[in-house]
Amino acid sequence: MSSASDGHLGDLLSALLDRELSPAEEVSARRHLETCAFCTTELSEVETARSWVRGLPAVDPPFGFLERLTLDAGRLGLPRSSTRRRVGVAALAASAAAGVALLGLAPPREAPVSPSVARLVEAHATGASAEGDPVSRLAPLGVPVSLRR
Amino acid sequence: MADEGAPSWEEVARTHGRFLYTVAYRLTGNDDDAQDLVQDVLLRVRKGLESYRPGSLEGWLSRITTNAFLDDVRRRRRRPVDLFSDEPDRVVPPTPAADVALEAEVLPDDVQSALRRLPADYRSAVVLSDVVGLTYQEISDALSVPVGTVRSRLHRGRAMLRRALG
Repeated sequence: MSSASDGHLGDLLSALLDRELSPAEEVSARRHLETCAFCTTELSEVETARSWVRGLPAVDPPFGFLERLTLDAGRLGLPRSSTRRRVGVAALAASAAAGVALLGLAPPREAPVSPSVARLVEAHATGASAEGDPVSRLAPLGVPVSLRR
Repeated sequence: MADEGAPSWEEVARTHGRFLYTVAYRLTGNDDDAQDLVQDVLLRVRKGLESYRPGSLEGWLSRITTNAFLDDVRRRRRRPVDLFSDEPDRVVPPTPAADVALEAEVLPDDVQSALRRLPADYRSAVVLSDVVGLTYQEISDALSVPVGTVRSRLHRGRAMLRRALG
């Protein structure tokens, strides 16, 4: 990398690229470039690097992260560290249910199922046997019973 | 007390969250630290710790984000045992040297990885200029350094990126 002290343009090249030079400086820099292959190459290199960074896409935060922060009005003052943040996020999640309706960010509600899943399980357990249908044979008998109310 | 006209932190999170996260991610280079940084920024906004001047909201947020990031880098440097050093080679494996200089073959992950290995001051200048799009004067104001320093850090950062990526 060149510098102005060694007779090259140095960081003026980035400034030229970014249109941050005064008109007089720009004229001078362009005149230098006409005869200096070293600076011309360097200009091309920093222009390439600039285009790489400019071409980086926007980054989406992890699902639910901003919503959790938005929903919490009282617990955001958590110290910074990954461990503390995880604790904080858990606390934020606990308060999310209360805050979600206020901000109109509620996810779509699931349509009610009729008959209810609990009733279906109960009915299935009542009718199931070890020699019954192939699906029932895959599950231990005790599980459906434990779901009875 | 928050400044007159300053956006609420809820508004910032809702309306500018993706922008904020992008800047945080480009500065820190990973999701965990980016989340911490965004949280820190929102906390500063909420507490009214950062004076708001009507103008570019994203410029204002970028300044807060970068300063929060640099504060954290300085804090980590002061720790005697630092498991989460900003020193890039201890955190992110070096990008394999590119043997082909075709620009099209440089992937965003490679650029992010090389960006992560820049010194924090250079990285901040590059992100503020080439991700956020601030002018040198705006970066100078954000970082409280002279415009000449911004120009130097930016140019050195770009030159290092170019070398790192072939």
